[in-house]
Amino acid sequence: MPKIVGIDLGTTNSLVAIVEDGTPRVLPGRDGSMLVPSVIYFDEGGTTFVGNPAKEKMVERPRNTVFSIKRFMGKGTEDVREDLPLLPFEVAPESEHIIRLNIFGRDYTPPELSAFILRELKRNAETALGEEIKNAVITVPAYFNDAQRQATKDAGRIAGLDVLRIVNEPTAASLAYGLDKRKQGTIAVYDFGGGTFDISILKLKDGIFEVLSTSGDTHLGGDDIDEILMRLVLNDLSQRPDIHQLQAIRKAVNKAKEELSAADRADITVQELQYRRSLTREEFNKLIDPIIERTLRPCRQALQDAVLNPANIDEVVMVGGSTRIPLVRLRVQELFGRVPHTELNPDEVVALGAAVQADILAGSRRDMLLLDVTPLSLGIETMGGVMSKIIPRNSTIPASATEMFTTFIDGQTNVKIHVLQGERELVKDCRSLAQFDLKDIPPMPAGLPRIEVKFLIDADGILSVSAQEQRTNKHQSIEVKPTYGLTDEQVEQMILESFEYAEADISARLVIEARNEAETVLNATAKGIADEQYANLSEEEKAEIAAASARLREVMRTNDHEVIRQSIERLSNATLHLAELIMNAAISKALKDKRVREIQ
Amino acid sequence: MDYFEVFGLPRQLGIDTLALEKTFHELSRKYHPDYFTTASPSEKTQAVRMTALLNDAYRTLRHPVRRVEYLLSLYGFKPDSSKVPQALLMEVFEINERLEEVKGGTASVEEADSLRALIKEKRKRFDAELQQASLEWDELVKSGQPEAKLNEQLARLTEILSESSYIRNLERDLGG
Repeated sequence: MPKIVGIDLGTTNSLVAIVEDGTPRVLPGRDGSMLVPSVIYFDEGGTTFVGNPAKEKMVERPRNTVFSIKRFMGKGTEDVREDLPLLPFEVAPESEHIIRLNIFGRDYTPPELSAFILRELKRNAETALGEEIKNAVITVPAYFNDAQRQATKDAGRIAGLDVLRIVNEPTAASLAYGLDKRKQGTIAVYDFGGGTFDISILKLKDGIFEVLSTSGDTHLGGDDIDEILMRLVLNDLSQRPDIHQLQAIRKAVNKAKEELSAADRADITVQELQYRRSLTREEFNKLIDPIIERTLRPCRQALQDAVLNPANIDEVVMVGGSTRIPLVRLRVQELFGRVPHTELNPDEVVALGAAVQADILAGSRRDMLLLDVTPLSLGIETMGGVMSKIIPRNSTIPASATEMFTTFIDGQTNVKIHVLQGERELVKDCRSLAQFDLKDIPPMPAGLPRIEVKFLIDADGILSVSAQEQRTNKHQSIEVKPTYGLTDEQVEQMILESFEYAEADISARLVIEARNEAETVLNATAKGIADEQYANLSEEEKAEIAAASARLREVMRTNDHEVIRQSIERLSNATLHLAELIMNAAISKALKDKRVREIQ
Repeated sequence: MDYFEVFGLPRQLGIDTLALEKTFHELSRKYHPDYFTTASPSEKTQAVRMTALLNDAYRTLRHPVRRVEYLLSLYGFKPDSSKVPQALLMEVFEINERLEEVKGGTASVEEADSLRALIKEKRKRFDAELQQASLEWDELVKSGQPEAKLNEQLARLTEILSESSYIRNLERDLGG
């Protein structure tokens, strides 16, 4: 079985991990860091940079440095209208059902952008493990709906990964948590990250991790806290900042937020605006209390759905960077009446758990099994715009439901089915998932066809539908139109386009390598010119070295690695004689020293 | 395969939920798609289908009301809230009027408490009725009674469930 990695594709940071000899570990990136910031920078030449190098560009190049893309997965513009004014991105006009960001005249969907991050993680894993990686388990917030899960799977496909399983983040964390402790009992996982919030309640028994209930908010996280602080700064300013300044403010408030987890007071300093203000922990707590309250409501809901009281919870596990905030810990402690576990690294535990799930799929562990649930009820539209639930939320997945459909008009050959997710009574208050067209129904009098439609939610929490006409036993063809997602054809097209990036990525690496070599050669040349042997060169030779150096300095800023290579070659040739002279001098000096020693 | 067959159980309503959970975990370990990653596509599909059936069965059978609904559906019986005695409708109508006053804030605290107690009492009576009728069903099945007898009992269970929807609505209105 080829290796399967576990990937935590986070709003703020992403990680890749693997289990070796029964122990999960995070695989470091090329720069040695475990966390890859989920940031993508596009330069003018069409090269992309992911992670720390991209994060450095957020203030300088706001338009073409994409961050927090996870918040856009499976969404249309209407869903993120409130966030857009504080974001420096250019949203393309046709973003009603899938947000498209325009970067240098080209539109990118969130799955394509996420694929850049996944490709980077794939490469990091390949470098660390010394083999090609094709299979992965990717985590998503437990409260992600069908479209958001599908978008994550699409991102994996575009990045060249076979996504063997989509796992819920809090559940993955519980796997890492319960791994070597052989835990039994009921645990609550409170997962408050950069962009999303989840609560999951699980029962651990004899290696079975059974999720009893889950709830959350896929648009609630550290980013929202940053936005509150940004608005605080904006209120102080006399005029609206430009997007560079906006990003500088984001960076400054983020820093202050992190400092306030340890200190009682922090400064928000924005050099670009000559701005500085102080913020006490007390003021901060007051500002963020409504946000924390929004995480407690789903907690109560999850308890109620699991038919449990806080007293029934044996342990509370904290996951996600935002659980470092002292007030978050305090509120969780108050709700559950016990001190939550904070000894796990909240940034790494989800990736480690994903690696454990990958290990289970690889067949290495039969002692552990994860039984997860679907976070939202699945339903179909019935007469009068009412949502009729067919699979209730918190059903263990895979789950299925069978419904009978018929025709209303004589000879009708098509039936439309509208599938939704949500808890509300009316269709308009639920999330539209897809429209299914049952086609080629044998023409019969109205009401006579009996079409059995089977809805199946698989272990990834993703829906599939199949249909059969009962009288003719004919399998019905179904055409699926996802409401907030890409069609299969669109994903295929993106996979094709992604090969261009694979090439662009290779060429980017060649450019970087050529630049590094150019620098080495230029440094060596500078040393050579400083050497006394330089005086022994002819004037033509000196002029050629000067010209070749100047040329190399000029072309090494371009993205054409071949031209850089040619210039390196030219400078190397020009300095050949100088190098020879220096070498000879060194040898004769060494010989002389030797003779001196021999005589002595 | 029906849900009772999935768990190897007779079509009876008294179910030991602890034993049910144990079997659920055992069967999950046998069929779960996590253990079929390297299997052929058809085996994978089979694993997903089998596990979905197992999960559907567990979700239904562990819940005392859903369990009865499912049993009734196997015999073609369906609870219908429009077919309930006139007396019940009158009673519910009356309770609803009092509920409106409580929600509107015109009723006293004592009135609200007494209404809450009344609805709780109704729930208790319903639960007891359902349990009794379920026990009777199991006795009839075990003693091998003729179909007519069984159908009579199924009709009785259907009637109880039809009425139960009113209590559920009252509870919801009171809670909301």
